[in-house]
Amino acid sequence: MTSARHLPSARRTRHGAVLGVLVALAALVLSACGSGSGAGTAAAGGGGGKSTTLKWASSFFPTHWDPVVGGSGAQFRILALPYAALTKTDAKGNAVPDLAESWSYNSAGDEVTFHLRPKLTFSDGTPVNAAAVKNAIDRAKSQKNSALFGDLTSIKSVSTAGDLDVVVHLTQVDHQIPLLLGERVLQIASPKAAADPAKLDQNPVGAGPFVVTQLIPGTKVVLKKNPNYWDAKNIHIDNVQLVSAPDKSTVVSGLQTGVYNFADLAPSQAKAAKAAGLDVFVQPGFNASNISLNINKAPFNNPKVVDAVRYATNSQEFVDKLTFGYGKPTNQPFPSGYVAYDPKSANLYPYDPAKAKQLLEQAGIKPGQIKLDLVIMADDPAAEIVQSQLAAVGITVTIKIDKTWATPFFAKDLTLSLYGTTGRDSAVQTLTAHFGPNGPLNLSSPYEPDGFEAAIAKVRQTPLDAPDYPQVLQAATRAGLQSKALVFTYSSPNLFAKNKSISALPANPAHIDWTGVTIGD
Amino acid sequence: MVRRVLALPTGRLAVGVLSVIALLAILGPTLAPHNPLGTSALTLTGPSWKHWLGTDYLGRDVFSRLLAGSRTSVLGSVEVALIALAVGVVPGILSVYLGRGFEWFTLRIADTLLALPFLIYAVAVTALLGNGIPQAMFTVGVLVSPLFYRVTRAATLAVARSQYVEAALISGASIGWIARRHVWGKVLPPVAVALAQTIGVGFVVVSSLSFLGIGVQPPAPTWGGLLASDLGYLSYQPWAPIVPALLIMATVWGSNLLADAIRDVSGEAGRALLNSRRARARRLNPAEPIPAGGAAR
Repeated sequence: MTSARHLPSARRTRHGAVLGVLVALAALVLSACGSGSGAGTAAAGGGGGKSTTLKWASSFFPTHWDPVVGGSGAQFRILALPYAALTKTDAKGNAVPDLAESWSYNSAGDEVTFHLRPKLTFSDGTPVNAAAVKNAIDRAKSQKNSALFGDLTSIKSVSTAGDLDVVVHLTQVDHQIPLLLGERVLQIASPKAAADPAKLDQNPVGAGPFVVTQLIPGTKVVLKKNPNYWDAKNIHIDNVQLVSAPDKSTVVSGLQTGVYNFADLAPSQAKAAKAAGLDVFVQPGFNASNISLNINKAPFNNPKVVDAVRYATNSQEFVDKLTFGYGKPTNQPFPSGYVAYDPKSANLYPYDPAKAKQLLEQAGIKPGQIKLDLVIMADDPAAEIVQSQLAAVGITVTIKIDKTWATPFFAKDLTLSLYGTTGRDSAVQTLTAHFGPNGPLNLSSPYEPDGFEAAIAKVRQTPLDAPDYPQVLQAATRAGLQSKALVFTYSSPNLFAKNKSISALPANPAHIDWTGVTIGD
Repeated sequence: MVRRVLALPTGRLAVGVLSVIALLAILGPTLAPHNPLGTSALTLTGPSWKHWLGTDYLGRDVFSRLLAGSRTSVLGSVEVALIALAVGVVPGILSVYLGRGFEWFTLRIADTLLALPFLIYAVAVTALLGNGIPQAMFTVGVLVSPLFYRVTRAATLAVARSQYVEAALISGASIGWIARRHVWGKVLPPVAVALAQTIGVGFVVVSSLSFLGIGVQPPAPTWGGLLASDLGYLSYQPWAPIVPALLIMATVWGSNLLADAIRDVSGEAGRALLNSRRARARRLNPAEPIPAGGAAR
């Protein structure tokens, strides 16, 4: 879980910047050398025309390339280059076929069969068959360093029926499985390569649209188009060079000079990117940032203090100061407008510092009496906003930047921290990740709000196309929002900048899908 | 020494710049017109009467933050210089007098410290000792101390091998007396040069570290930290990095000028330089009465 960086704001630290500049320089030199060989590949590959290269600078460069270890954080977008999954999502966020051609539930709803496409192979030549899928799910459930087992609690076992049919047996009725087993959670690796997970973590082997040809851990990965990908005819990019983005303030100049032609962008850089003639766009998504509280530790073991923090938080200030017009406030683990967003809870705990002070007074706490450490992973202006908002109601916060933040955070040892999500394809997974007893975003494990478990079970039992699905889902959100462990603040945008020669990306929420994307001159 | 430094224009300039910076460090936090940590809804605004240097990304007054940040930066660089002085000078003098064993041992330690890249090492030490400017500066101070060690040792060696010291020894003078009477006066000028230079180096180091976000926790302002955060908002305030950068440059430049001035006026060469300047001034200014016997100075 250490690698699960969920938010664009979770960026490289400044001393990464120095390294980043060096990397950018190296990339410049490498791309100069590489352009010659790239042209050569295209000529060898045939098909006429010029070879096209996507040069992508990402703030979410994966630390792990074994999808089981990487977890379902934002770096899944990069792992989706070499790996495909059973399903992917469309522009509406619905599950659509990927490696699985179709799927069907049994009448009870506790067993789902995925029918794989025939004659597919992983990039090492191993066939994509039922046994490979079973291997992937089993590994996600049982591998020692799996970051995914918590998301697969609905899955009892997996069996194969013939070469191409995978039967997933469930512990409960759960209609979320096709969404769950998509690119976020179940990118499928070659079972031959996965026999040595440590090696797979350095050399990804999947059946995705691209094949890794070179991987420099933490720095750069070079991929070429996979001619055996099932949808290869719709992939129009020949090569991908992906580098770990340097400091956010240098990304725009990298794009401007052509070192990259695609990058994710900090909202503060959008103006500069536009001025540089780049195409700045927002990919739809489910981002939500939060303040994480640990109610197993003082002072948050006092519900009045938790309520005081809720009322002291002014979401609008985060939006105004951090998102440069691209974000919006939210008090839920997704932006408003999403199917799981509960409009009835929209005004839960409005900003009311006077009430916050009153609650602290009722709890017998004097201003300045509470002194807390706010531990964060990297320098983040959001922390300074939290600090000033809590200071306004008499809670003194000291910001501590801890490079090893992930360890105490996921061990639930911190009292106060900041985190966020880029969402999950399955809304149920988003909810359980935040409010479930073992959710990675629940700093107060094993705490779970009352009634949440029952509400979630009801959502799982409701087919996604049932007319009452939104109501049932929103009821689960409402139950989850009673959680004292999380105060949601704002939804930051999935902001990207690209060279105008790259055509528009499919607007699949929270995904980066290269299907159909072309790169012109 | 002070009077001689002030006799040079470079010396006066250096002392002037450094005095202003020192005043900022002492009075800055009290002079700040706004609360340096107080946020407002006016973010990234340009200079105005209310906010002389505009506001930052959280709507804080940049001028107040610069003033408030001066103390951390200046204290940090002074700490580096003083620690390097304390750690370097005493072993430097003793290495000449305490026998070959001690000499060999301290020389090897100095070589080792010189081999370590101090900026990177300071980053590593903050991970061990906690993220604070004093810890980081302590490390840097120790790592730059070989400069003082070597300068002191070289000066001491020159004195210790000189005939008048040997004569004093034969006459029964103690090592302590020689150190006070002869060594100190010869060693002090090069040490003063090294000290002024180290203050400049320390300032660069403290600014670099705070630029990287090491040693200070937000929202505490530092010049390096202001510079770093300004770089993130260049499209809104392209001029913003200039002010902290100028302050850092002026301080380092002042320290280096001071080091130059001290070097120019110390020793026999310095006395000669001052005398020749004085003579030239007299030639150019014949109206001025010639001081009798030069005792007035």
